[in-house]
Amino acid sequence: METSIPKISTVLKTLLRADFTTQWRNRRAVVLTLIVPVVILALWKVFVEKMGGPFVLSNSITIGLVATGLMGYSNSIARDRDKGIFQRLRVAPLPSWTIMGSRIIVQIVMILLITTFVFIIGKQYDGITLTPLAYVLTYFTALVGGVVYLSIGQMIVGRIQNPETVNSASRFIYFIFIMSGMLGEMYINEVGKTIHDIIVWSPYGTVKTILAAGMEPAKWNNNASMALLATLGYTVVCTTLGIKWFKWNTK
Amino acid sequence: MSKQQDNILTVDGLSISYGSFNAVQNVSFSVRRGEIFGLLGPNGAGKTSTLSAVEGLLKPQAGTILVDGNNAVSKPLHARASLGVQLQSTSFQPELFVIEVLQLYAGVYGVPASKADLMGILREINLEDSAMKKFGELSGGQQQRVSLVIATIHNPKLVLLDEPTTGLDPQSRRQLWERIEAIRERGHAVLLTTHSMEEAESVCDRIAIIDHGRVIAVDTPQGMIDKHRDDPEVIAVSRRGRITLEDVFIALTGKAIRS
Repeated sequence: METSIPKISTVLKTLLRADFTTQWRNRRAVVLTLIVPVVILALWKVFVEKMGGPFVLSNSITIGLVATGLMGYSNSIARDRDKGIFQRLRVAPLPSWTIMGSRIIVQIVMILLITTFVFIIGKQYDGITLTPLAYVLTYFTALVGGVVYLSIGQMIVGRIQNPETVNSASRFIYFIFIMSGMLGEMYINEVGKTIHDIIVWSPYGTVKTILAAGMEPAKWNNNASMALLATLGYTVVCTTLGIKWFKWNTK
Repeated sequence: MSKQQDNILTVDGLSISYGSFNAVQNVSFSVRRGEIFGLLGPNGAGKTSTLSAVEGLLKPQAGTILVDGNNAVSKPLHARASLGVQLQSTSFQPELFVIEVLQLYAGVYGVPASKADLMGILREINLEDSAMKKFGELSGGQQQRVSLVIATIHNPKLVLLDEPTTGLDPQSRRQLWERIEAIRERGHAVLLTTHSMEEAESVCDRIAIIDHGRVIAVDTPQGMIDKHRDDPEVIAVSRRGRITLEDVFIALTGKAIRS
């Protein structure tokens, strides 16, 4: 006997409304993830002339993306899994991918919002403006970059069950990315070439490279293309492992 | 109507393992349309694993589960559409208000419901004033009422309740029993797991006792008492001069405390 099951579009619309409402009610946490990029824009005003606007903007956006993908996404998934929220949804007649799909769509919107926010602050405070093509390319590279951090977040939440450990691990990786990414590049002589290369080809470095190249399309070179490929590679590997390791409940 | 069609749920030869541990072994039982069926067993007996397999949360190693004729493994979405579920520890997004949680579950079950409809549902369970409260702000009894109303929001043919009265005070428990009976009166079947023999005796039409992953007895509560009334083990554990379902349960499953 056939029983009617709800349309995917209805299910997704409903999940999205709930997930966006949840995100909106957590806006204080969202504001906190924006603080670090804003602080960078404020403190690095001096670097705009020395190293160029794209250097400062790309670092700010990258930090914002890391905060959203690594900490925001992984912590919310770990919490909801621990509370049994996913299990309750999974006993409803909906495909499991819609539950995660809705969460990821919300995060993608957050990536675009962070990028827009950094553009606005960068223009207002540091006077950094880009060409229309550069804005379009930067949104694209921000999406690609944001997704790699979401996939790393997925990998963390796949590997680690305890929400507090997920929180600690994501904060630790966030800290490593900030410190090695920002300071490693600026103090190349002190850290040495090998460490510098590791940083440049880390998920932080490749995302920063493609963002900076997107902001100056004329300067997009082979190095930027390789960084884009590396970013996509990281995404594929981390997503595959993240999905493979992921368990819907902690018991 | 054939026997198969008469059953809303048929579990046949179900086996579930976690590594080398066999949690459920060759379990078979059926739930008839419009009946309240209780699955009883000590901790770790395999009740929740059995229910999880019916809900589609666990993939069994062997066996067949038919929900209203739909195979829970090969057609999970169709099977789940016929099920209303209240999990042992239900939690909803803590940021959402009660009315929004109802809206979410009406949507995922494909039930077209306006805000007025949902307020009407809350009015029926005396929670209209709590519509704009968060789920976590409700008392245990209120949370159970909301969970139960969500489990039945799509008018399912079978409602699964996993230890629904755990942690409830006597008043809330009694009220929940009345609500479970009201679900049956509306034509739904109910499969519930419980540790409370009092609950099983009061509410269930039939019960199955499961222990060490196997079904060891299936009957009506009174039928089970009558059948085992004269067993020496039952008489030995009887404490009140009359044989209760709890005496039969203890005699069948043993006195040892389970983890």
